[in-house]
Amino acid sequence: MYAYVVRRLMQMIVVLIGVSLITFVIMFIVPGDVARMQAGKNATDEKIAEVRKQLGLDRPLAVQYAKFLGRILKGDLGKSFALDRPVTELIWMGAGNTIQLALAAVLIELLGIPLGIYSALRQYTLWDTVLTTGALLIWGIPVFVLGVFMQWLFGVQLDLLPVSGAGENVLLFIPATLDSLEKLILPAVTLGLIEVAYISYMQRAAMLEVIRSDYIRTARAKGLSERRVVLKHGLKNAVIPVMTIAGIDLGALMGGAILTETVFSRPGIGLMIFQAIGARDMPVVAGGVLFATLVYVLANLVVDLGYAAVDPRIRLEE
Amino acid sequence: MAERLLEVRDLSTHFFTHAGVVRAVNGVSFTLDRGETLGIVGESGSGKTVAALSLMRLVPDPPGKVVAGDILLKSKDLSRLNEEEIRQVRGNDIAMIFQDPMTSLNPVFKVGDQIVEAIRLHQNKGKKEAWRQAAELLAKVGIPDAEHRVDQYPHEFSGGMRQRAMIAMAISCNPDVLIADEPTTALDVTIQAQIIEVVREMQQQYHSGVILITHDLGVVAEMSDKIMVMYGGRTVEYGSVDEIFYDPHHPYTWGLLSSLPRLDLVEKTRLTPIKGNPPDLLLLPLGCPFSGRCPYERSECRDNWPTGEMVGMSHGVHCWIPAEERKNIRSKLPRFRRRVA
Amino acid sequence: MSDQKPRDAVSQQADVAGGERVGRKPLGLWADTWRRLRRNKLAVAGLCIITVFMAVGLTQEVASLAGTYLAPHDPNAVNYELSPDGYGSSPSWSHPFGTDYLGRDIFSRTLVATRISLLVGVIAVSIALAIGLTLGPVAGYYGRWVDSVIMRLADIFFAYPYILFVLLLLTVLGPGFVNVFIAIGLLSWAQYARINRGSVLSVKAMEYIEAARAQGANDVRIIFRHVLPNTMAPVYVAVAMGVGGAIVTEAALSFLGIGIQPPDASWGKMIADYLPYLQGGRWWMEVFPSAALTLTVFGFISFGNGLRDATDPRLKE
Repeated sequence: MYAYVVRRLMQMIVVLIGVSLITFVIMFIVPGDVARMQAGKNATDEKIAEVRKQLGLDRPLAVQYAKFLGRILKGDLGKSFALDRPVTELIWMGAGNTIQLALAAVLIELLGIPLGIYSALRQYTLWDTVLTTGALLIWGIPVFVLGVFMQWLFGVQLDLLPVSGAGENVLLFIPATLDSLEKLILPAVTLGLIEVAYISYMQRAAMLEVIRSDYIRTARAKGLSERRVVLKHGLKNAVIPVMTIAGIDLGALMGGAILTETVFSRPGIGLMIFQAIGARDMPVVAGGVLFATLVYVLANLVVDLGYAAVDPRIRLEE
Repeated sequence: MAERLLEVRDLSTHFFTHAGVVRAVNGVSFTLDRGETLGIVGESGSGKTVAALSLMRLVPDPPGKVVAGDILLKSKDLSRLNEEEIRQVRGNDIAMIFQDPMTSLNPVFKVGDQIVEAIRLHQNKGKKEAWRQAAELLAKVGIPDAEHRVDQYPHEFSGGMRQRAMIAMAISCNPDVLIADEPTTALDVTIQAQIIEVVREMQQQYHSGVILITHDLGVVAEMSDKIMVMYGGRTVEYGSVDEIFYDPHHPYTWGLLSSLPRLDLVEKTRLTPIKGNPPDLLLLPLGCPFSGRCPYERSECRDNWPTGEMVGMSHGVHCWIPAEERKNIRSKLPRFRRRVA
Repeated sequence: MSDQKPRDAVSQQADVAGGERVGRKPLGLWADTWRRLRRNKLAVAGLCIITVFMAVGLTQEVASLAGTYLAPHDPNAVNYELSPDGYGSSPSWSHPFGTDYLGRDIFSRTLVATRISLLVGVIAVSIALAIGLTLGPVAGYYGRWVDSVIMRLADIFFAYPYILFVLLLLTVLGPGFVNVFIAIGLLSWAQYARINRGSVLSVKAMEYIEAARAQGANDVRIIFRHVLPNTMAPVYVAVAMGVGGAIVTEAALSFLGIGIQPPDASWGKMIADYLPYLQGGRWWMEVFPSAALTLTVFGFISFGNGLRDATDPRLKE
């Protein structure tokens, strides 16, 4: 296990360095002359040269990258052009709502596990067909389309729930008022619904495969009741891989569900990035993406390690 | 006079699929006494595994169903038992080990766990005692360092060891009948002999009857007292080991034996495989399933299942070719030619 | 494990094809896949949708290249009479999907926008495949450090949350037709590379076994006719899902305003543009492009799933 953890950590570090490098390339090399872009359309050559110096763009690329990396490692993601505030501060401001949404969506999503299992055990029945078809239909709905229609249905037509914004939070992400809870519902359900469909489909498939395994037959041959066979022998094998999906989703959402937050005008990291894109505020866009990627990579690491902790095959292999 | 453990009469198990009815087992009968080893021989699709699974009602239903037959375990009719009763038989009176030990053991539970589960299910033992017994069983089947092995996971065992562990799990409740379904097929040849040895030892220790299912004639010769040759869901020939090997009467049996290399012949002979393909189980003929592939087929073979004919003390065969003619044909086959000094 | 017999290709294939299904002659791989696929109603529905989608998209693209369009009305024709209060008119016989706030026919617009989605799907995935089909086999074939480097690179590309990655690149490149293809395609090569590498590795293993066992010609034929095409199956599945994914991604980008720009219309853009009108009760503008998008994506996903199930050797019948 120890060797596995070390290996995985090393891999993560390599990947993160790679991410920083590629982000650097995208930010500074791809656009061509950043200084010109920054200085504006009508800038004189002098002005451009000045901006170039200011941004440190006159140094060799390797040096620029080193400085870039150095900054990031110190936690400095730059300053927003549009809002003149440190990017990290902006991220912190949006973090609470984003975390709240992520947690809520994943909690909803976990419902897919029992749904998938139940469906697998009732294969060929009406329920199973309904669930599988429904899951496939819902899974295909683009999240922003679903968001739009949820807004319309529950917000406008039925006027049940608020359709935008977010409320007050306590302890960063816990909804403090009824209002904030209400504002959480639609976005969370939108995100969660699509993922529930996906997870129940995957869980069903995993469960079906497990049920057909030889070791299930062995368990039956020993005289175990069908219930024991399924719940004890089947479940552990079937649920573990699906739990990892939920974990990874959590990681992805922690970086900001940009589409959902935009549709519901929910102030979080995703909306922050979206607004920055519109304003061509590169530091915020890049900083936000870097942050989201870091969180995603960490989440993947945690999930992998968790998987290894639970599945003895990974843990003990070399 | 050994105790009769199993008496199976006219067992038929069919699978009802949307492509049609697969008559996997069709009117099979056999007996098993205490201390005896019955070898069921046949190729894939012959129905031997399904027959074994039918005994304990392990055939997936749907689509499979035991449609006919009596299964008497020490004069208790297993086919009449309800779900709970048959569960008590499984693992307890009849135990089974399967072909691929790698996939037959649950990878996320310790080996000891899986053995203990069987023990505590059928015997009233506490956890500690059950674990101790599990370790003892592992040692008994020849796994070194059993005390530690018991806490390990299946993938930490080698293939041979896994199969031994499965055997340990099977005998944990002292079953009367042990069914071994292709126990050596997934293993290396050198390990095969060891496993057969383990099974034999356990049989002697526990005085159980063993049903050995295999397509490997070498394995069957090693261990069986009597043999049942199956083809296309039916029994085509049965008898003692010697009777089958030295006096085979069915063309399929000849084919099986002919495909074995003979090391004792001075002159070179070709390995003669059985021509043709295994039968399509959806389109089995009413008569002999070997028709269409049998080189000596006659007109009545396809539509009429040959009645059983005794050709030895305990030796029976189902074939329309008259006995004398059979012996004649057989003597001309390269396999059965006399040794040339 | 050392004392387990290496499974020869034939028995492995037979095993993998479903155990006791003996006696039936092995059909060609495609016939078999098609047969299994046919039974999956959702997958068949998906295939129909995909076919319709591609037919419409292709004709629209051809029309576009010829400088025209193939729809009942000019998708860009503004007609204030059809939008007297500035909110368009509801569906009618002449305008089955209604008109938008500028009086443009929604049906025509939706139809013509199909070409954008088709182009994105095809071009983006082609780019990704081109990269992936090169790097993957290279990694698998040469192995060792080449493999390591390429796989690390793939890991890095996998590390980013996809849509944010695309947004990052697109912000820098600027919006527009071509940039969208590039961004989507360039950043999704990794999955194809990984799959291809896997295929190559399994073929390598097969060759080794084949050589080591010195079997007759039978085995070789089986390897090339059955096993090799089988290893390509995951690629086809990935492509089906990939095209669906590319279409959604483009729609999302256009929805956010950073994708396709006017005068080109894509469903995503339409969904964004007409959103305010939905709240006002003018539902038809928003609904039809949304339905077209959802249906198309669903088609690709269903078919991809069905294809995956149909080529999964472990799924017994």
